[in-house]
Amino acid sequence: MLQSAKSNKRTMESADRAVGFLLSLLSLSIFSYYTFWVIALPLFYTDHFVHKYFLPREYAILIPVFAGVALICFLCMFIGYVMLKSKKKKA
Amino acid sequence: MKHIVKIMAVVVAISASWLGLLQTSIVSQDYTWLLPIYFIVSLGCYGLLMVGIGLMQFPTCPQEALLLQQVLYLRFFCNLLLYIILAEDILEAKDFLKPRGVDVGSD
Repeated sequence: MLQSAKSNKRTMESADRAVGFLLSLLSLSIFSYYTFWVIALPLFYTDHFVHKYFLPREYAILIPVFAGVALICFLCMFIGYVMLKSKKKKA
Repeated sequence: MKHIVKIMAVVVAISASWLGLLQTSIVSQDYTWLLPIYFIVSLGCYGLLMVGIGLMQFPTCPQEALLLQQVLYLRFFCNLLLYIILAEDILEAKDFLKPRGVDVGSD
């Protein structure tokens, strides 16, 4: 049992590191894309080719607001679910 | 209470500076309207980055996790053994005490 636990430990560690790497890569890419979108893009001419790689700028507001609202909804649902489960267990 | 006052003071200062930036238009107004959302998104990104870097750097205490796992196995096994050993005595005690009106447990 100790052998499998040790190999489990190593795979758990590398899995953690892979998840951490992916997460940091995702956050950096989101940050750079968003920065370029909001700050750098208005400085280009409107017929420049780089505009077709970015959505119209209204989406730069809609997408974060939508994501924030979805996150708050998910949190509320999760809290409600946990509260209901604990109440059912008590009763 | 002091914490709330401090946080409120920071929020008021930031919004006052944002409104001042909007009025005097040091940067163009298009940028100023998007600035709060930009800061919130970049704050979220920064949090994710810190979580990712923390996961990459520090091993998640594997020795402690291993010990904890073993302790949990041990406790479960001991409880199981005790239950098996004492099951008959438990049943006897329950049959003895229940007619005498003693509250014999919740399962």
